[in-house]
Amino acid sequence: MHLLWLCTAVIWITQTWAIQASEVGVVDWHKPLVGVPLFGALTTAPRFQRVGNAGAKSRSLLFTASSGNILAAIDPADGEIAWRYVFEDNEHIIGYKHHGEVVAAVSGAGGATLRLLDAATGDLLAEKRLHKPEFGRLFDPATIGTTISFDAEGDIYVVSNAHIARRVDGKTGEVKWGWTAPDQSSLVAYSKIVTTPTTVYLIGLAKSFASYTIHVTALSTTTGELLTSGHIPSSISDGLTDFFELRDVKDASVPPRIVWIEGGSVRYFTLTPELKEKPMGFKGATYKNILDIGLSEYGQFIALREDGTARVLRSVPEGFRQIWEFAESANSPKYTASKYVGALDMDGRSYVARVYWSNVYKKAVVHVFAGHLAEGKGLVSGYTFPFETNVHGVLSHVTVEAANPEGNTIVARLALTTTTGAIQLWQHDRLQWAREEGLADMKVAELVELPERKITTSQVGDEEESFGDRLVRQLSDAQNFPQYAANFVRRFVTGSYASASSSAAPSANASEPLARDEFGFRKMIVAATAHGKLYGIDSANGAVLWSRVFGLGWAAEIGGQVIPVKMFVTRTVSDGDAPQVVLVTQRKASNGLMDTVLFHVDALTGEDARGVSASGDLLQGFDIIAGPIVEAYMLRNGPQKFVVLLDEFVQVHIYPDTAENKEAFRQLVPSIHIPLRTGAPGERRLTGHRISSEIEFTGKHVADIAWSLGFPAGEDVLSITPRSPHEPVASLGKVLGNRTTLYKYLNPNLMAIVTGSPTAVTPKCSLYLVDGAKGTILYHVALPSAEGACDVKVSLTENWLVYQYYDGDASGVQSTKSHRVASVELYEGFGIDQKTRSSDLSSFSNETTALAVFEQAFILPRGINVITTTSTSNGITIKDLVVASETHQIQSFPRRVLDPRRPMRKPTNQEMEEWLIQYDPIVYDDPKRVLSHNYQVVGTKHIVTSPALLESTSLIFAYGHDLFFTRIAPSNTFDVLSESFNKAQLVLTIAGLALAIIITKPMVRRKRLRERWYD
Amino acid sequence: MRLPLTLLALATSCCTTLAVDLKGRVQWNELCPSLGDLGQAKAILDDGRLHGGITRDGSFEIPDVSPGTYILNVVSHDYQFDKLRVDVFETESLPEIRPYIPGTPLSPPSSVTLPYPILLTPRVKNDYFIPRQSFNLMGMFQSPMMLMMLVMGGVMLAMPYILKTMDPDALQDFNKRQARIGALQSSLQSGDLSGGLSALMTSGQEESSASTGAAKQATPSSSVKQRGGKNRRR
Repeated sequence: MHLLWLCTAVIWITQTWAIQASEVGVVDWHKPLVGVPLFGALTTAPRFQRVGNAGAKSRSLLFTASSGNILAAIDPADGEIAWRYVFEDNEHIIGYKHHGEVVAAVSGAGGATLRLLDAATGDLLAEKRLHKPEFGRLFDPATIGTTISFDAEGDIYVVSNAHIARRVDGKTGEVKWGWTAPDQSSLVAYSKIVTTPTTVYLIGLAKSFASYTIHVTALSTTTGELLTSGHIPSSISDGLTDFFELRDVKDASVPPRIVWIEGGSVRYFTLTPELKEKPMGFKGATYKNILDIGLSEYGQFIALREDGTARVLRSVPEGFRQIWEFAESANSPKYTASKYVGALDMDGRSYVARVYWSNVYKKAVVHVFAGHLAEGKGLVSGYTFPFETNVHGVLSHVTVEAANPEGNTIVARLALTTTTGAIQLWQHDRLQWAREEGLADMKVAELVELPERKITTSQVGDEEESFGDRLVRQLSDAQNFPQYAANFVRRFVTGSYASASSSAAPSANASEPLARDEFGFRKMIVAATAHGKLYGIDSANGAVLWSRVFGLGWAAEIGGQVIPVKMFVTRTVSDGDAPQVVLVTQRKASNGLMDTVLFHVDALTGEDARGVSASGDLLQGFDIIAGPIVEAYMLRNGPQKFVVLLDEFVQVHIYPDTAENKEAFRQLVPSIHIPLRTGAPGERRLTGHRISSEIEFTGKHVADIAWSLGFPAGEDVLSITPRSPHEPVASLGKVLGNRTTLYKYLNPNLMAIVTGSPTAVTPKCSLYLVDGAKGTILYHVALPSAEGACDVKVSLTENWLVYQYYDGDASGVQSTKSHRVASVELYEGFGIDQKTRSSDLSSFSNETTALAVFEQAFILPRGINVITTTSTSNGITIKDLVVASETHQIQSFPRRVLDPRRPMRKPTNQEMEEWLIQYDPIVYDDPKRVLSHNYQVVGTKHIVTSPALLESTSLIFAYGHDLFFTRIAPSNTFDVLSESFNKAQLVLTIAGLALAIIITKPMVRRKRLRERWYD
Repeated sequence: MRLPLTLLALATSCCTTLAVDLKGRVQWNELCPSLGDLGQAKAILDDGRLHGGITRDGSFEIPDVSPGTYILNVVSHDYQFDKLRVDVFETESLPEIRPYIPGTPLSPPSSVTLPYPILLTPRVKNDYFIPRQSFNLMGMFQSPMMLMMLVMGGVMLAMPYILKTMDPDALQDFNKRQARIGALQSSLQSGDLSGGLSALMTSGQEESSASTGAAKQATPSSSVKQRGGKNRRR
């Protein structure tokens, strides 16, 4: 019997809305991203690499490690992702190195894990733990102390944690030998490695009084035993950039060397197994700096003179030789500081490129130097390319791949990384493709409704219109009639109506103004990234319709960063005009000053709504507070909407600061309750604030403390999830099978608070439901902590609280380790048919604490990262749970399954009337409910749900790294004729019946006649 | 500086003696023939704090697993694997692997033990899509509803001819029954459920009384026959 019930439950659950294979890419879209390249260190920066055996068969790929903790290869031909490998969140990529068909990557603290990947497909070949992450030494930046090198056989030499060297088999990933620096010298941080067929040299820095001294250890390649070790007389001031190794893989007569800069001169040391050589100086000029341009394996580097002039130096058997000096490379106000980068061509010949921005031509300039051309004298080829600095910011990294197809022509392919996070590929001066990788770092996003398509009317009611004029007008209006009639007939016959599963993208006619589709599926996604750019994205297909780069205001001269905090839609289509968006940001200037800046734009075009900045220019903000903000809200008073900001001194700032808004705010003051997190870290409390109705002498309202809620000692407030203040609630209660009613507890000030006590002896987590108006705890539950961390995901909507946690306790008899989701429903009073009108109750009434709680926990099939619920325009449709899971999927779970009132036994008739099914601890994992189906939606951090015009449908937008957009109909599309509705069947049936009537009518008539005659 | 470092080294050594590197392999099958089909996947213990990536040959290694009971799972985008229970012991003995059904208590453990190194098999490939419902004339006529409709239509059309060829007695009977059902239907339609039921009951009674009546009628005749028989014997 039990099985039967389970079966019916499963069948009933599976009979729900799911996507059809033909709808992929029509109702949804997915934008896979690699993330913004980590260009800070050479080991993680983008590089062109030839994959496969050298020669014509190899193909070039653009490798990069990114801020999304992804190692990716991009096909330079079309800009598509060839492959990407996603690393764990707590395991940052420290470096990667490519050799032949293998990419080796180290990640984690101090280089805890080594992975070998197939360079062409990204398949994992081997994974080797080098040390426990807890024992990883932390460096700043994390890239020092770890390095990888390949030898000719493909074996990998890796230094990790700055003192352990290993030789790892390039095929199996087995460690052939390991060498750990003895204790006394672990003050030496090894950061470079040079391999020769017989000897491995580990190069590190030892701290001396004011500077660093180079320390070299020579090990045997075959056994890993120590040959020699010693300091090299040297004094290095910057341990990151001032020294590196040099060798020449093409010329064995050039010995491996270390080169460094000391007191204005370039010095070098030739590496021999005995370390007997003396440090030498390169005579000639004084230099300010040396640059590793990625050609250290080809013996080339750049030395900068005091005035900024760059010289290309090359390691030769007898020392160094200057092979080129870039003309006009000295510092000048006419152009920005140059970026130097090395490049290789298909045959492994080296090139050096210099890229800069010319303030005179307002273009980017490239000079490519090829040392082997012009009979070995060297040749530079230069050109400009039109880089759009207003759209993409400033060049922050360049990598180059060169080719020398014939004679003295050089073709260069540049992959640029810009400050806005875009990757661009320029072939000569043509832009081949661009990837907006800044979108992977989206901080806030809102879905803005689009206006209806305007029907052009040729004439507005004009009283004094003569008969002739009217006739002409009506004729001209009627000229489209045949087309309309034809359309109507075709639509009627074929039944091709707009359906709930058709694409919302506009037809090819791009000249039409932005308009929504029939059902409101098409919206504008306005999103701001941490890389200083605001985007307007078409939700129908993910195309970027407009983008604006933030101006830095006064901080433009010294530089800074704009961090988006919140975004508000201050005007919607229903307010009558073009929708507008206000973005609240914090601007962090390079000198440490923090300001609060607002950007106010038209959501359809990205134009500055304040009219300050021109359309093609940088978007200038409005400095509202000279300091950080504590909280920002949007208040509504009828159709009026305005933004309210609280500064550090809890003073109220209103934007736009008009007299109307001030008056509206004064009226709203009594109903505003602001709970804030206060106190030092570790003892944070929740403090409720009320706003004074009087204006202080500063001309501003000030918030005063009204109540304070202290949690048990050591418990820290980790997150606050308020109930969405303006969500539509369709029904105030739930009618049960026995015709009684449970009234929903709809306190508008409800908020869920997660606390944790990480420092306590037995760490635990807690979840509280608090009345934000007076600080009353309405519900409290203690949750297990996973090794001191509180990873509780919470969603609160209407009277429904859902939270997810991991229960790793295996000590009890009945315990089971699993991901749990708890569903809590709150109802008014202490039982059925009790009504307190909680939604309109005064916050000071005692009855706000009168509530009945129904709760039940379920086992989830897997861990999840984000949890939210669907939202529809009127709240009639059931709210399903939408989660982003650890398998990189966006999945929905039906509300009915998570109903806390599911009975523990076979449901009675009354319960069946309510559609309650028997409790089953496991939430059925239905692949049909995976909204993202085949897409790998990596790194989702937020899911926004937004209503469509159709009540049945909710729009879902997931962001954080990859972008994903889809629609979901939790109760099926009940308000639209279903896609499977069979118009042909209906027409056929009617036609058949009509035919039957036509056939039987004469028969019946004849029969009647006969009856009259013979009866 | 030296003391903490030696302590660190000691800690490392003591931990390495206790902790185990858990090894296993994914068995490629026709459902999932290679890593290219599986995609980036990892084997995780519990909530994923300990994990190991699945390599091209299917093998994986979860390093530094301290003694305890764990649930082993595979995080894969498109494939479902069995969950396993792994017990790692403080002694030198090999970890014990057992099948585990999600949602069941950990103790008592299953009596079935699986071999170590762990062997995992892809069980199900996720099917995310529902088939499209398309219009098909044959399919339409094959559906039972449609067949019933056709049969009903046929019966309706053929009814006058059947009635004509029927035995007059049977026809009478049939008409009576028809009328009864008609009455029941009309009472149901008018919402008078009890009336309809009572009508059914009374009709049932009528029927039973009619049958008993028939029996009564039958018994005298038989007695007459018997009598006649007696008479004949006389």
